[in-house]
Amino acid sequence: MEDVTKTRVEQLIDYIMKNCLWQFHSRNWDRKRQNENIIGMTTRLLCGEPVKPETPEDKCYWVDAVCLAEAYRARHPWLATLGVDQIRELMAKLHEQLDYQTITASLNEELTDQHY
Amino acid sequence: MPYHEFECSKCIPERKQHAVVKAPGEDLTSCLPKGYLNTIPGSISERGCAYCGAKHVIGTPMKDVIHLSHGPIGCTYDTWQTKRYISDNGNFQLKYTFASDVREKHIVFGAEKLLKQNILEAFAQFPEIKRMTIYQTCATALIGDDINAIAEEVMEELPDVDIFICNSPGFAGPSQSGGHHKINIAWINQKVGTVEPEITSDYVINYVGEYNIQGDQEVMQDFFKRMGIQVLSTFTGNGRYDDLRGMHKAHLNVLECARSAEYICNELRVRYGIPRLDIDGFGFEPLSQSLRKVAMFFGIEERAEAIIAEETARWKPELDWYKERLKGKKVCLWPGGSKLWHWAHVIEAEMGVKVVSVYTKFGHQGDMEKGVARCSEDTLAIDDPNELEGLEALEMLKPDIIFTGKRPGEVAKKVGVPYLNAHAYHNGPYKGYEGWVRFARDIYNAIYSPIHQLAELDISRDPIPTDKGFATQRMLSDASLPEDIRTSTTLRQYSGAYDTISPLRDKTYPTFDSRSAAAE
Amino acid sequence: MSCELKLKERIGTINPIFTCQPAGAQYASIGIKDCIGIVHGGQGCVMFVRLLISQHLKESFEIASSSVHEDGAVFGALNRVEEAVDVLLMRYPHVKVIPIITTCSTEVIGDDVDGVVTKLEEELLQVKYPDREVHLIPIHTPSFVGSMVSGYDVAVRDFVKYFAKKDKPSFKINLITGWVNPGDVTELKSLLAAMEIEANVLFEIESFDSPLMPDKSAVSHGSTTIEDLISTADAQGTIALNRYEGGKAAKFLEKRWDVPAIIGPTPIGIRNTDTFLQNLKTMTGKPIPDSLVRERGIAIDAITDLTHMFLADKKVAIFGNPDLVIGLAEFCLDLEMKPVLLLLGDENAEYENDPRIKALQEGVDFDMEIIANADLWELEDRIKNKGLELDLILGHSKGRFVAIDNMIPMVRVGFPTYDRAGLYRYPVVGYKGATWLAEQMANALFTDMEYKKNKEWILNVW
Repeated sequence: MEDVTKTRVEQLIDYIMKNCLWQFHSRNWDRKRQNENIIGMTTRLLCGEPVKPETPEDKCYWVDAVCLAEAYRARHPWLATLGVDQIRELMAKLHEQLDYQTITASLNEELTDQHY
Repeated sequence: MPYHEFECSKCIPERKQHAVVKAPGEDLTSCLPKGYLNTIPGSISERGCAYCGAKHVIGTPMKDVIHLSHGPIGCTYDTWQTKRYISDNGNFQLKYTFASDVREKHIVFGAEKLLKQNILEAFAQFPEIKRMTIYQTCATALIGDDINAIAEEVMEELPDVDIFICNSPGFAGPSQSGGHHKINIAWINQKVGTVEPEITSDYVINYVGEYNIQGDQEVMQDFFKRMGIQVLSTFTGNGRYDDLRGMHKAHLNVLECARSAEYICNELRVRYGIPRLDIDGFGFEPLSQSLRKVAMFFGIEERAEAIIAEETARWKPELDWYKERLKGKKVCLWPGGSKLWHWAHVIEAEMGVKVVSVYTKFGHQGDMEKGVARCSEDTLAIDDPNELEGLEALEMLKPDIIFTGKRPGEVAKKVGVPYLNAHAYHNGPYKGYEGWVRFARDIYNAIYSPIHQLAELDISRDPIPTDKGFATQRMLSDASLPEDIRTSTTLRQYSGAYDTISPLRDKTYPTFDSRSAAAE
Repeated sequence: MSCELKLKERIGTINPIFTCQPAGAQYASIGIKDCIGIVHGGQGCVMFVRLLISQHLKESFEIASSSVHEDGAVFGALNRVEEAVDVLLMRYPHVKVIPIITTCSTEVIGDDVDGVVTKLEEELLQVKYPDREVHLIPIHTPSFVGSMVSGYDVAVRDFVKYFAKKDKPSFKINLITGWVNPGDVTELKSLLAAMEIEANVLFEIESFDSPLMPDKSAVSHGSTTIEDLISTADAQGTIALNRYEGGKAAKFLEKRWDVPAIIGPTPIGIRNTDTFLQNLKTMTGKPIPDSLVRERGIAIDAITDLTHMFLADKKVAIFGNPDLVIGLAEFCLDLEMKPVLLLLGDENAEYENDPRIKALQEGVDFDMEIIANADLWELEDRIKNKGLELDLILGHSKGRFVAIDNMIPMVRVGFPTYDRAGLYRYPVVGYKGATWLAEQMANALFTDMEYKKNKEWILNVW
């Protein structure tokens, strides 16, 4: 990653880590699902694409995504300078990094427990 | 891994993996202590047992229930009147506790008959109570009493009663957390779906992992009611047994203490498709975000925004008065489980203190993930701390205050560190906007008590200042404050009442048109 | 006009008066210097008892757990004891005495604690700690037998049994106090000092009320030493103040080491304190000095101000430890009060033969009930549903809601008294205790009169 992208991903991750709880659901598969849906929706919101949650599950992702997108816009004015593709790329890296920290490289030994 | 090794624990090397310092550049892939492993015998850990995790922490806050422990009297006695989970029905759950009183003869010949007599007797003594939870204990688990069968028998004989069985003996797991798990799963397996609740709103939630410590649940319920949201059940603070049997009918599970109650949320999600929304009820910003999210889920954002605006305007100047005076104060955030992550970041952001250490008595690695993620650099994170490690950490970190339980608070007192009760609170509730100011007020009063200054003085050696007859908190806290803050007319000290909960119980709420009615 | 001793009729317990045996053994263990007990069982058996003690004394005490988890419950947990002893010895170099206190779980699974102690003595202690003085003392306190009271009794006996050894005769006496507060020990020692009697006080717990020192060095712990315990066999006699908390140890010393024992009475009130002093005099030959005549006079003077004017005929219910309850009841009678209900929180076959209870049965001229195996619902149910009228309740803090909800004044006494400040600092024994109790009771009644506007103007002139 370029330095600037790396710094930006770190800033975005830092906000999630300090302020959110949704990335820390109990098991691997839950975290995967949460990260994918919430980061996915946040990306679309940041890119100005319409997001219309229909199911209760989608609505639940959506509220976290809306709050995250708003917080990002408010805290990181540089986001407004990026094009849609750049946002997508940045958010893909964020998603990758978040999965890495909370799932694939997580040291939490309970994530793979098959039961709740 | 940036492990921290305590001098006092060098002889038990496995402890090394239970403490880390979050050094610059560390993240969760390199910095996480082990957690929820069997305790080292003789280490003088602070952990309790799985029975107390089930009965004392989660079971008993249910307010309209006879809580009967099947075992000798001690388990019951010990887990009675050591918590501050109140209720709006006269605190029945705090006042009354029941033990089947198992004796030696029952250990030899079985205690099932004894249990049955106990159940019948308890219902007879309290005819207005029709619900019961029976908690297994070490003794009755080991002799293998079939509690379920006895409960079934009684429910056949007394059709108007309902009994819940919680098999969580004290030895079932490394700490009280084993009991949290067992009672979560037992409740959803035995009771959820057995009552069809009355739905009174278009917006229906279960409020999960909230125990109404000093009225926390009632504060949050007030916000939900002001938004026209039906709190179908609370798991379990101030909660009604039959409401909790109807949990399956909620639209959303709002989860507060994920440590003690994520299990039931996960199961409700899998079995009934109810999504899980994790929230923080502590702190202005996290609470505002939480209310906003719940409202957005139902498409009633404006109702949340109205509350946020009103509450923030009313209480923010008071919070900031304390923030100015708490800046840079070092805190050891040493609670049981969830508060280490509920509070770690927000007390720094909103009160200006510096968290120098977090610990968890009974948490899992998941709690430490959240805690480590939220605390700042150089924080010492400890899993399942023991007496000597706690003292060593206090000596090393020299905090200005420690947030912990009653007994460890007495340990801290002796080394000159004021304590604030993280479990039961000093003068709570601490949830809600006003509650958060109360928390800041309690921290302020603890840190700036003139008694600490007096405690430092050795009258046999030190010069005794004879020019003062008294000191006040303000004299101590404002000595080095800038003039404009000291004399600010916008900032103010806490102005609320001693009891903020009783008035909520008589409050009336706005009625909102239902969505279906509006559409007609 | 009758006084009946009966058992609670219900089979279950609603709001217990006592916790279980291991708690009593733990309370005894903290009275010994350089001692940290290991409770062999689940962690709650320790964590809550430590909490309870810290609620009562506002101090923290060290007690360890063997932390029995699921595997131990299934396969036996003696390995947990072995590990606990080693960990404790490694990390607490000052520790010399380690009682191993059993619980219901480890008694049910049948862990051979005595066997493991022998093994540890032969292996771990010999090999790893050859130069260290270590005493491992098994104490069997299954929770399904007796109560915290018998657990205390058993533990005191077991400590004495383990250590007591004859050397050369001593002029000291053994004073076994029973389950008391630091304030009681201070008062008892002051009586002994006045009579110039040296005593081994079991246990020396004045230091439970420890300071917050400028150098932050203070820790709360008992001060009875191993030497004190050893020399109990050399004493010229033992006085155990409480029949059910320490009586066993006194009997053991008499039987095994020919140390004459006087058991009781609990020196609560003027009369029982007089008897205690007479017992001291008989045992040691030392006279009762004028200073105690004067001290007694101060108490009598204070009580005279209160008894017939305010306390007479007040109906009292008393619950708690049996010796305490009986002692308080006797004192109340001397104060012209009517202890109409006594609640003893456990079942003990000896209650029937307790001469003090017999004397109550023969001597009281009003209806009095003594309930054994009682719980606090026995009290509340009588008040709420059965027409019992009370002026005052005497008992510990776990009964606070009976008093609060039924608007009956209550004087906190016994263990635990966490909902009032500093009570552990004041004695209930001796002449000072008599004064304190009488004045506490009077002040509780006065405050109640004022809150209820019940002839509160009476106190305009006194």
